[in-house]
Amino acid sequence: MDYDAMDMDTEALGPAVKISEADSTHVNFELSNVDLSFANSLRRIIQAEVPTVAIDLVEFMANTSVLADEFIAHRLGLIPLDSRNIKDMPMARDCDCGGHCDKCTVILTLHAKCLGDEIMNVHASDFSVSSARPNQTVGNPIITDPEGLGPLICKLRKGQELHIECMAKKGIAKEHAKWMPTSAVGFEYDPHNKLHHLDLWYETDAEAEWPKSKYADWEDPPQEGEPFDYDAVPNRFYFEVESAGNIDPDAIIQLGISELQQKLAKLITGLGEKSNIDDQYDGPQSPGAMDDGAMYQNDGYQTAYGNGGAQSAWGGGATAYGTTPYGNSGQGGWS
Amino acid sequence: MPSRTKKTEQPEDASMEDVPTSAQPDQETGDAMQEDEFAENGGSGNGEEEEDTVQRVRILPGSSPTAASFEFLEEGHTLGNALRYIIMKNPDVEFCAYSIPHPSEAKMNIRIQTYDTTTATAALAKGLKDLEDLCDVVADKFWTERNRFTEAGRMESD
Repeated sequence: MDYDAMDMDTEALGPAVKISEADSTHVNFELSNVDLSFANSLRRIIQAEVPTVAIDLVEFMANTSVLADEFIAHRLGLIPLDSRNIKDMPMARDCDCGGHCDKCTVILTLHAKCLGDEIMNVHASDFSVSSARPNQTVGNPIITDPEGLGPLICKLRKGQELHIECMAKKGIAKEHAKWMPTSAVGFEYDPHNKLHHLDLWYETDAEAEWPKSKYADWEDPPQEGEPFDYDAVPNRFYFEVESAGNIDPDAIIQLGISELQQKLAKLITGLGEKSNIDDQYDGPQSPGAMDDGAMYQNDGYQTAYGNGGAQSAWGGGATAYGTTPYGNSGQGGWS
Repeated sequence: MPSRTKKTEQPEDASMEDVPTSAQPDQETGDAMQEDEFAENGGSGNGEEEEDTVQRVRILPGSSPTAASFEFLEEGHTLGNALRYIIMKNPDVEFCAYSIPHPSEAKMNIRIQTYDTTTATAALAKGLKDLEDLCDVVADKFWTERNRFTEAGRMESD
């Protein structure tokens, strides 16, 4: 970017990242020298738009358990499935097959019947995953418990049976929360509330009653009698990204950023294709450009919206409502 | 002024399908952008191609070269706020703001007013590119830091 470094102050240093904690399930990091809007975009995109696989369609061949079909189907949708190599898999609606095929769908089957007197637990590890799938990891149930059982699906008493076939598809959490790659994302800035973005409730003393954030030590506390800096903007953002298990936490961040870039790239291509388009629209008007004089040259008794006032919005005879600003905008799209 | 109840000559109700729900033109109005789209698709416009080439940005009417409102389909605060910020960083831009006119319509509007040195469309294109560059930098910084962190962890455990 070729902007004047003067008005960028700390941002001139460029964005910086500092990881404070990381393991296979979570990563805590500090993102600094970026704007709140960008940090928030990153948070939004890793929560809602990083694709994963999840069970989307379940066929019940037999269910004599105490739980209803749809109840079990809902539980199945929430089971985390391995999405590390999801790049090989297209979204089912973008796939050439039109419905579901080996490229865009992973089939998981489960057949369990309790024969003994003991209550039988059915776990995600009891799934058998079809081998016809984009690669040999995508769609495997995530098993992290020491016993290697995975999430509990249901319990069966003697004689009860569960026989299901599930189709797992790729999706994003904007469509359904089961596709979330994260179980929680912490997002924090300004631990001392110097910017007054929070109005803390208190009995007698907010300082004493509210616990300090763990990031309070990372920033200078406000000085006694320090005047409020109304020009200050948040600059350091503390993320705590917790993975649901289907994608590694570091990869979630990476995929989130690349997802945002793909979004931008699509718009850039779209914009490049029709850069010769200016104002040939005759649809409804937006509040017009203020320096677009021609639009506002009327005889003084009209609204700025082009309707002479004689007609209703629907082109019929005059009504009492004809002069509202909601009138027909000249060559209205629905005249 | 006639009262509400005595309103004469109630014009025929417009049927619902004739009324655009928003600023998006319906198919028949055939604006220039959509015609362009059709030309590119060879007039067919079906199959998976359609999904990718659906017109997702348009200029709202009443714009001049240096002041325009853009309507984005299927976008929200994720893109809107970051894009607003990065466009505002451009010294040639006088004003930029975004809004989501209604929460149940997946639409996001951006208003850009520039000085005479550039156009609103150019400022938008530059904003998109700048935001992409910013993403590149952050992605790179994150991955460098990740590698440094794992390396440091390995050294400690040895």
